[in-house]
Amino acid sequence: MELLNTLWQSTGLANFVFGQVIMMSVGGLLLYLAIAKDFEPLLLLPMGFGAILTNIPLAGFTEAGGLLHYIYETGIHTGVFPLIIFMGVGAMTDFGSLIANPKVLLLGAAAQLGIFATLFGAIALNAVPGIEFTLKDASAIAIIGGADGPTAIFLASKLAPDLLGAIAVAAYSYMALVPIIQPPIMRALTTEDERKIEMAQLRHVTKVEKIIFPLAVLLATIFFLPAATPLVGMFCLGNLMRESGVVDRLSSTSQNELINITTIFLGLGVGSKLSAEAFLNIQTLGILALGAIAFSIGTAGGVLMAKLMNKFSKIPINPLIGAAGVSAVPMAARVANKVGLEANPHNFLLMHAMGPNVAGVLGSAVAAGVLLSLVG
Amino acid sequence: MNQLFIEAGTLLFVGMVFVYAFLGLLIFIINFVLAPLAKKFPDPVVQTKVKKFVSKSTLSNGVSPAIVAAITGAVTQYRQQHTNLSINKTHLKAKQ
Repeated sequence: MELLNTLWQSTGLANFVFGQVIMMSVGGLLLYLAIAKDFEPLLLLPMGFGAILTNIPLAGFTEAGGLLHYIYETGIHTGVFPLIIFMGVGAMTDFGSLIANPKVLLLGAAAQLGIFATLFGAIALNAVPGIEFTLKDASAIAIIGGADGPTAIFLASKLAPDLLGAIAVAAYSYMALVPIIQPPIMRALTTEDERKIEMAQLRHVTKVEKIIFPLAVLLATIFFLPAATPLVGMFCLGNLMRESGVVDRLSSTSQNELINITTIFLGLGVGSKLSAEAFLNIQTLGILALGAIAFSIGTAGGVLMAKLMNKFSKIPINPLIGAAGVSAVPMAARVANKVGLEANPHNFLLMHAMGPNVAGVLGSAVAAGVLLSLVG
Repeated sequence: MNQLFIEAGTLLFVGMVFVYAFLGLLIFIINFVLAPLAKKFPDPVVQTKVKKFVSKSTLSNGVSPAIVAAITGAVTQYRQQHTNLSINKTHLKAKQ
């Protein structure tokens, strides 16, 4: 009888805590969103599975000695995984459309309004009982508005590791929801005529320009914002490997195998932060709400800036491409293209929207650097 | 709380100014460093394309019809021989 009791005590059923069951269902929900709804499946699938593993009673995945504990400590706590991913993103990025039309960098800057405005929201939420965000927490939450997964995880791991799970879930969920969140805002802020604007063809960008550009960005970051050099530096390394044309093997590895391997571990590591005690609280709800607001303000900031530029520019600018200033590459650019096609079936904005889109990646990395150096 | 609001406001202002200034600097770099460089060092790929195009057009314009006919004849002859050879080979293989 004693033996039977011991055996029963070693089963999962006897040891489940209610919170763990809820968090396993959250993991299940993430798996459902990834598999059935195709929501950022590359990250949500390992993240959802990680959430399930984390909440298994007695298995000790996240305690010292557990697999997820080591994955988190080596890759996310140190900030290594998001940086490796950023290098891969750099190797996938073509700055051609940005160099051809450099003015769109202003759109990438305008869309960062979402990040800085959300700081207010996070501080204001402190009025709600049970929520207590410090300025560091607020900054880590606000970066969701940059719509850039690796940047959000990097900043959260430095400023507010306790909130990392919720921040990563919010960031990736909203990135998957870009096609649903952005179009109503874009339509509300533009007129039919503005959406119909066709843009001039982009000029040819030479190889020399594409090689010098990442080096110039790096140099500017070294001079003016060293706190952003981990993110910007890795991004520029990836991009230089791509554009130099002499290390195709390295470029191909960082945009395929390396980024895939890292994504698996990043997802699992973030999943390890989805434990009941860290996730099931009112703060998480606050973070999810703030993330949506940050996204919307960022989109609005980009569109309004593009409207303003269109008023003063000699060459017409379709305000829709401003919405692509939030990073979320290439989803946001595709959304701009789609909304543009609805208004004018001959208007292909994709290449024009890629400019602000990659400018947004640089902008959110710079914003993260500013927050790191002022708050961190 | 109020203190935090003031700090958040300062961050909003300083952050946005800095992001604009930094990306503005990049606009400056692209317009005044990269664009002149692009003019100085145009893509070699484009140059070779132009060369090929030019050389093709001079060939077809400058070569006399007699030489074109001779080359055409030689090519046809070579092709015939080649196919004959390969046919012979397949025959041989079939016999074996």
